[in-house]
Amino acid sequence: MKLLAALLVLVGLCAAVTAPALEAQQPSQPQQQDEFVPIDELPPQDQLPAAPLLVAAYSFVVLALFAYVLSVARRLGGVQRELERFEAELKRSGRT
Amino acid sequence: MPKWFTPAAAICGLMFAVAPVLIANAPYESTMGLVQKIFYVHLPSAWMFLLAAIICGVASVRFLFRGDPRQDRLAWAAAELVVLFGVVTLVTGPLWARKAWGVWWQWDVRLTASLMGWMVAVAYLLLRRYGGPGSDKLAAGLALFGMANVPFVYISVNYWRTIHPTTNVVPTLPASFGLPLWFSAVTFLLLFVLLLRVRVRLEEQRARLDALYLSMDA
Repeated sequence: MKLLAALLVLVGLCAAVTAPALEAQQPSQPQQQDEFVPIDELPPQDQLPAAPLLVAAYSFVVLALFAYVLSVARRLGGVQRELERFEAELKRSGRT
Repeated sequence: MPKWFTPAAAICGLMFAVAPVLIANAPYESTMGLVQKIFYVHLPSAWMFLLAAIICGVASVRFLFRGDPRQDRLAWAAAELVVLFGVVTLVTGPLWARKAWGVWWQWDVRLTASLMGWMVAVAYLLLRRYGGPGSDKLAAGLALFGMANVPFVYISVNYWRTIHPTTNVVPTLPASFGLPLWFSAVTFLLLFVLLLRVRVRLEEQRARLDALYLSMDA
């Protein structure tokens, strides 16, 4: 009986100590909205303009395609030159 | 180069000049506004990404079963286009998502499968470049996984939970959105065909050079 009473006291003490801490951890309710804020009045860190993202996307497409075309043209030019040089060499040595 | 190449390149250049005008005149989407215009390059490049993966896979199957080196060259050329159009898709998508969804990336099935498909193509190219003798057949096997991934990428949005738009969006587009999209898609397709032809030509010339070197050694 004494043990049970001691346990009850212990549980009561624990609850008393942890209750305020748990209450502090509860997510606070979002404040009720009582006005609409135009987007241009938001602080700068909360605004996300679309134009830079759009410009970045289109710029990336143009640059990527241009870089690839340039890369293929450069590689094709290199192989073509080597082929011509090789064929000329073969012709000179009379092997073809 | 074939006779059709130069006129097709001129038409493609003209279409790339006209496409921005159509895109600029397209209406703003009601919820996403200006940033939705990324759609006109994101979707066509995604289609080319999947088309290139299919071409790479089919050519690889034909190379594996018939041993035709022309199919191998086509597969290699297509794998490069998977990487090119894949990177365009995977960069423009997050730029759109940042504004529309509030996040750059979501690990949903479509985005993850697209990234996987792109990584398979990168692995294919690395294997061809550094794999040494026999890497052509190994890479062809890898290309099959890339092709098998395509249906997952396409249908995933209809079966798994995601915030990515479903495949029903395009068929139900009003003409004001549809015209610039289809114009852009045809432009990308023409560019795709031209790039594929040039890239195959590069492999043909390389093969010719290799044959000449071998004839010299013989």
